[in-house]
Amino acid sequence: MCGLAHYFESEGLSTVLVGFVREHIEAIKPPRSLFLDFPMGRSMGKPNDPVFQKKVIREAFDLLDTDSGPVISDFSEVIPVKDGRMGYALPPELVLSVEDIGDVDAVLAEVKAEMAALRLDYEAAVAARGRTTVGASGLEIEEFAPFVAGFLNGEIPQSPRRGMPAIPLLKLVVEDLEAYFTETRTHRDSIDDLELMGKWFWEESKTGRMLLLLEAVSIASDNKVMLQIVEMSLMAPRFWSEGPLPGTSAAGW
Amino acid sequence: MFRLQRRSWRFIVGQHRVPFLRRRCDLTKISEMPAVARGFISNLDLPVVYDPSWTQPLPANKRRISIVSTAAVHRRGDKPFSWLAKDFRAFDKTDRDLVMTHVAVEFDRSAWQQDLNTIIPLGRLEEMADDGEIGSVAEEHYSFMGAADPVTMEKSARQAAARMKQDGVNTVFLIPI
Repeated sequence: MCGLAHYFESEGLSTVLVGFVREHIEAIKPPRSLFLDFPMGRSMGKPNDPVFQKKVIREAFDLLDTDSGPVISDFSEVIPVKDGRMGYALPPELVLSVEDIGDVDAVLAEVKAEMAALRLDYEAAVAARGRTTVGASGLEIEEFAPFVAGFLNGEIPQSPRRGMPAIPLLKLVVEDLEAYFTETRTHRDSIDDLELMGKWFWEESKTGRMLLLLEAVSIASDNKVMLQIVEMSLMAPRFWSEGPLPGTSAAGW
Repeated sequence: MFRLQRRSWRFIVGQHRVPFLRRRCDLTKISEMPAVARGFISNLDLPVVYDPSWTQPLPANKRRISIVSTAAVHRRGDKPFSWLAKDFRAFDKTDRDLVMTHVAVEFDRSAWQQDLNTIIPLGRLEEMADDGEIGSVAEEHYSFMGAADPVTMEKSARQAAARMKQDGVNTVFLIPI
């Protein structure tokens, strides 16, 4: 992001950025920067809070009134993060193994039932918001769980999406599944709490459990890309954990 | 001449030569992050900038603003981003049916699910334009893959800049995820 600012500035465009890692801003020195001490994924601070969002924008745009730079300013408010982590993290001890998989059909049936139970609330959320972020994979909602379950048998299933291999598609399906749950719950219960959403989906739901089984399959896989997904914490939220996933080194990073 | 080059982050830790307009002392630091994130973020190869440019901003009421996001969002039907994509996607200021194909999962997605303005504040900018706080909001806005190396993005960034200038944009608001 900081590097992009320099390109645009060299094209004769004035730039201002907001950023989450102040040490990086200090190192790359974009012309005008507002440092945000917020959880990542919340650049304007708070959803459905126009006053707060505009405060962020205004403090950023104030930097366009300085005559020379580079300049950095710290936003006047902090949105606290938990234990120095800027997003939800799975508890390090919550790790499943391939021995926990058991009957894949039973796992799939549980997940299908759980998802079906949320369907009306999901549709209400979409209707209320007029949009949904579910569907990045391009698959139908009913296809998400069966596609993931296909991996639990230890094989790489065929991708149903033309032009996209199965493993990159798998990553998008995992995110679609989480989005289906969190879009539903944030609307249904009128809550905005990333820690609670992460805990509910990854630690308490049947669908989250299926994805931890998928993680176990990935660790045991001899497919390099499947291994890369867990080594680099690209699927289950372990980036902010205290230590790498057992069986991996986090060396992918 | 302006250019971006790679240099290891390890060699530049501790340099603080940028003037601060407002500085707090109690902020989140890399050294206080949990182990996996700390290892990753502190070992990133950051680019070094030679001869950086400075474009003097226009007065607020003359600013036509385009958002550049590194959230790897795009219109639903567009091609998903690859994991280290150096290209970009454009979307119109009226587009709301956006999806995200960012490779990383360390940031919260539940906020933008609730309100697009949390990461791409087109609604807020339109209000500020209506109120005369800024000049106008560009027709097009842009999204990149934040996980990719910025040194590889130069061509794409200049292509996006050319499109902005065609639209009369003079100010870019860069927003990470």
